[in-house]
Amino acid sequence: MKLSELANKAGLKAINKYKDDNFEGVYISDMVSDIITGAKANTLLITLQTHKSLIAAANLVDVSAIVFVKGKTPAADVIELADKAGIGLFVSEVDTWSMALKLFNMGVR
Amino acid sequence: MSTCNHKWEMADIRHGYLVMEGCPRCGGRAAFFSTEAIAPIDEYQEGDHYWVYLGSSQATKFNLKCVECGKRVNLDDMMGLMMSTCDDPECAVVKIGKKEGKGTWVYVALCADSTHASGKCVGAEGIKALNEYFNQNIKVPGKKITVVPCDQCCNIDRCKGIVIADTGLTEIY
Repeated sequence: MKLSELANKAGLKAINKYKDDNFEGVYISDMVSDIITGAKANTLLITLQTHKSLIAAANLVDVSAIVFVKGKTPAADVIELADKAGIGLFVSEVDTWSMALKLFNMGVR
Repeated sequence: MSTCNHKWEMADIRHGYLVMEGCPRCGGRAAFFSTEAIAPIDEYQEGDHYWVYLGSSQATKFNLKCVECGKRVNLDDMMGLMMSTCDDPECAVVKIGKKEGKGTWVYVALCADSTHASGKCVGAEGIKALNEYFNQNIKVPGKKITVVPCDQCCNIDRCKGIVIADTGLTEIY
């Protein structure tokens, strides 16, 4: 599924320019130390975490895009780093569980 | 000599705390990984050093294992990873990044002793395997991860970067 299709269907707000590629799978975590051991390349990361180290971790394992849940929005320097890394950033108003359910119901596995 | 074109995966993943200590006598820094339920905060004498707790963060340690030939690379000497944002043109880390070219992201593998007084840092075999591991699955064309040992940093206190650690979460206790 392409990121634009995901954004449309799941009601996500894009907060940076993103490359509209297909993503392959989802990883959910709020710990950067966990992300580097669990997230895979080209996946979608769902998190509450908005710290800059999140981008350092996501870039290392080549995460495709990040969805911040519960309306959390990262600071400008975090968005700037994600831009440099080519990582798409989206915001959802729903919580992590609801986001996971939405994705599952959309057929994302 | 192995002819295996290694395909690495993480192995022996351990969750715990990265504990930072400082010696007020020499200004040295040290770090160790603890798997205790709560990060240890003891102060203690070790030779000429008097180590004082500076802070801790939740962290994860791992080794690498080749799924093809079974070779294991131990990464016990690596305490963490830091995305380099250093802009000192004299810093070796910056020079390595420039040499590798556009699309390269340099990450510094942090060892336990920032002073490198023992002459040791993260080993060459571990650095090679980390580079192979983090690059083997990259999907973005032209993107490259370069991991270097922290003895390449201009100065561990001045060399800028973003450490991949869950700082602050230990305050939950």
